[in-house]
Amino acid sequence: MICKRCVLPEHRPDIVINEEGICSVCLEYDKLKQPPNKPLETDFIKLLNTYKSKGEYDCLVMCSGGKDSTSALYYMKKRYKLNPLAFTFDHGFETEDAVENIRNAVEALGVDFLFFKSDFMLEMFSEMLKTDSKAVLCHPCSIWYMDLAFKTAFRFNIPVIIAGWTKGQSTRQPLMSRCGCGVHQPEFYSMAKATNEFLDSYVKKNPKYRDFPRSMEEVLARAKLRQKCVVLSPHWFLPFNSEDYVETIKKELKWKLPGLSYPANSTNCYLNFLSVHNSMKNYGYTHYHVEMSKLIREGLLSRQEALKSLEMNFPREMLDSIAGKLGCRLDE
Amino acid sequence: MNILGISCHYHDSAACLVKDGKVVVAVQEERFNRLKNSPDFPINAINYCIQEGGITFDDLDYVGFYEKPYLKFSRMVIGHLRSWPFSLNNFLNTMPNWLQDRLVIPITIEKEVGFKGKVIFIKHHLSHAASSFLVSPFEEAAILTADAVGEWATMTYGVGRGNKIDIQKEIRYPNSLGLLYTAITTYLGFTAHEGEGTVMALASCGEPRYVDKLKGIVMVKPDGSHMVDERFFGFNKGSRMYTNRFLKSFGPERKPGGRLEDRHKDIAASLQKFTEETLIAVARHVQDKTRLNKLCLAGGLFLNCVANSKILEQSGFKELFIQPAAGDSGGSLGAATYIYHCVLNKPRDFIMQHAYLGTGYPSNYIKRVILNRGVSFRELEDGELSRFIAREISCGRVVGWFQGKMEFGPRALGNRSILADPRNPDIKEILNEKVKHREGFRPYAPVILEERAGEFFNLECKSPFMLLAPMVKEEKKALIPGVVHVDGTARVQTVSKAINPRLWHLIKDFENITGIPVIINTSFNLRGEPIVCAPEDAISCFQRSQMDYLVLENFVIDRMKNNK
Repeated sequence: MICKRCVLPEHRPDIVINEEGICSVCLEYDKLKQPPNKPLETDFIKLLNTYKSKGEYDCLVMCSGGKDSTSALYYMKKRYKLNPLAFTFDHGFETEDAVENIRNAVEALGVDFLFFKSDFMLEMFSEMLKTDSKAVLCHPCSIWYMDLAFKTAFRFNIPVIIAGWTKGQSTRQPLMSRCGCGVHQPEFYSMAKATNEFLDSYVKKNPKYRDFPRSMEEVLARAKLRQKCVVLSPHWFLPFNSEDYVETIKKELKWKLPGLSYPANSTNCYLNFLSVHNSMKNYGYTHYHVEMSKLIREGLLSRQEALKSLEMNFPREMLDSIAGKLGCRLDE
Repeated sequence: MNILGISCHYHDSAACLVKDGKVVVAVQEERFNRLKNSPDFPINAINYCIQEGGITFDDLDYVGFYEKPYLKFSRMVIGHLRSWPFSLNNFLNTMPNWLQDRLVIPITIEKEVGFKGKVIFIKHHLSHAASSFLVSPFEEAAILTADAVGEWATMTYGVGRGNKIDIQKEIRYPNSLGLLYTAITTYLGFTAHEGEGTVMALASCGEPRYVDKLKGIVMVKPDGSHMVDERFFGFNKGSRMYTNRFLKSFGPERKPGGRLEDRHKDIAASLQKFTEETLIAVARHVQDKTRLNKLCLAGGLFLNCVANSKILEQSGFKELFIQPAAGDSGGSLGAATYIYHCVLNKPRDFIMQHAYLGTGYPSNYIKRVILNRGVSFRELEDGELSRFIAREISCGRVVGWFQGKMEFGPRALGNRSILADPRNPDIKEILNEKVKHREGFRPYAPVILEERAGEFFNLECKSPFMLLAPMVKEEKKALIPGVVHVDGTARVQTVSKAINPRLWHLIKDFENITGIPVIINTSFNLRGEPIVCAPEDAISCFQRSQMDYLVLENFVIDRMKNNK
């Protein structure tokens, strides 16, 4: 059963759908007597001014090659006239389309680019698939990526990390400074708990990952000890929707939509397909369902559009091939 | 060249963006923060101006502020000293605002907007003058401004030629027709800066028996210049703008929401008549001094459409221009245009032909909002939509009409409007019951095809901003009883096919059905709320009222189909 208003299914005890077919997350949202103040672009500028760089680069932009992070890079360079350092990592599953988009963008914008490729995470991914853990593949990956981003920002003395997170990936100030991970939201609770448990048990066993952070909170705590740094996304503050900025980056940065993606019209790595498959199997929804549901509640996406984007139409052979690279086989 | 104009901290905060001399965006803060007549620093409006103007904050060359705060502060201090010690409480109440907001405008702008460039302060009444003349179609014109009070000036006149404005005379605080109007508005139990229009409407219901009394407390010379007897007013003394002496002379004040007695109506009628006579005298004097045929008006007092019509009829001026945001929100427009044309000496080539300078929303956004509210709707193509809605209005339905870009200024001019049938003599009661819940004596305004206006009203010019109230022709009164005020006038908006084709076609279709090229147009809001800005506001307003249809661009929401 899916909520009649958003796209979340029932997942007790985290998400409960009432007799009218409305989920507990939507009902909680309705309870907000006043809608939260929408962040304004001037708030973003104020934050950028607060975290002014003393080094060569004004900000570190985490680029995945998708529309949101590519446009974030575009905004930092063109709209805010800053000197960003573009930063991408490849854990071995980055798609060719995404890498091409990033290369095109950094070339067109003339920004410095740091490309980090490593197979450091392969063993962990493989273990996640082999065990019966319900941990979401994307979670340790984002923990690792975020940790890398903070370390890189520290190395280059950059006080602002820019991500391409959408309004569906949190717009609330307290969550921004916690990377917008929102693990305490009920929609993420079970997923985050499973990831946490996996990391807790696995990290202990494997000396290779001894220093691996157990959670996003730990990433932030470590970062805080190193330097004063904030993570922001321009999309939280700008009123432009993705249709607007996709047109811009297509025209100015030769950005292309990948052939195959999930959700539709996004750019994600190959592992993402596997992660989505497992999340659907374990929870009946993915973090994309959470993001899009939030966008629906904020009036930025219609339910129909979300349902269409979330249709799973990627081939089974592709999933097998990705799992094969990790030395695993998917259950039937 | 990008100039941002700002007006704020009193009432009707607004921001306006002028790009290379063209006004591209202008919007009031109240529409975003949903606080009617909001005085707040217009941070939402500023953000919207920049984003909608297609520029970045770095692209701003100048920021213009619509008055000179230190000059105003000096008036405030002197005014309080003159009323000391009765003004103590008032002084203590207003000082924090002065110190935190009003005297630190450049700091606020740098802090809130990140703008480190030049902020230029334009005198309040000069901003008003610029807001009218510099966007008018006139190369040369007399200019008359009047409101409650700016820094010291309460009324000014001068001449505009090309890109120059020369203010020649001013009347100074406390001698103020605007303050008089507001003081008596509050005396009659209505809210300052909001209830003046209500008093204007109430005036038609009474007899001007108190004009001589008013002349006793405000001395008017033949040239219209006037002097207020301060013993009757206490503009700095506390929560009340009038004194016990005033109450002794005019009787007890009416409590808000209290019963309206004939005395109240007569006082309103007297105030209106006195104001009209004084303004006409001033305008005649200005015409005499300037020998010009064209007049630009600005300032809150010229939102008084009845007085505007009388000025046009009786002052000797042949043509009148008033932009739709004649009150303080228009100060932002005046500050920005003044900097561009008068400070930077750039020629004029922009005429403000319409008020549609605010927010607009693409169809896909609107559709999402409707879908997410779970409201049943249908989408009609332009012609079908126009014919359908015209037919429904002709059948007595009340329609919320949300189209294109929002109007700048206090009037809804067909893009954020509620529409109804003017032929129905009971329509006022229906509208009041279903949506507006306002005083029974207040009239509803007509919007008419521009080319047909002369047939229905004693109107020889356009009235695109609903700022004139001509007489309805005698033979037409019975055809449109829903919009004829008790004094036989109507606050007319004329609409042209070129400026608002969608509204024009709707009225045309209504005429095809009924033979009447007139529709009722009232602002799309509930009582006490600002006019709707976004589709979300429109749906919320529709759901809290009893309107029959809501039309958002081409999407039609039918109340009957959504009543469960």
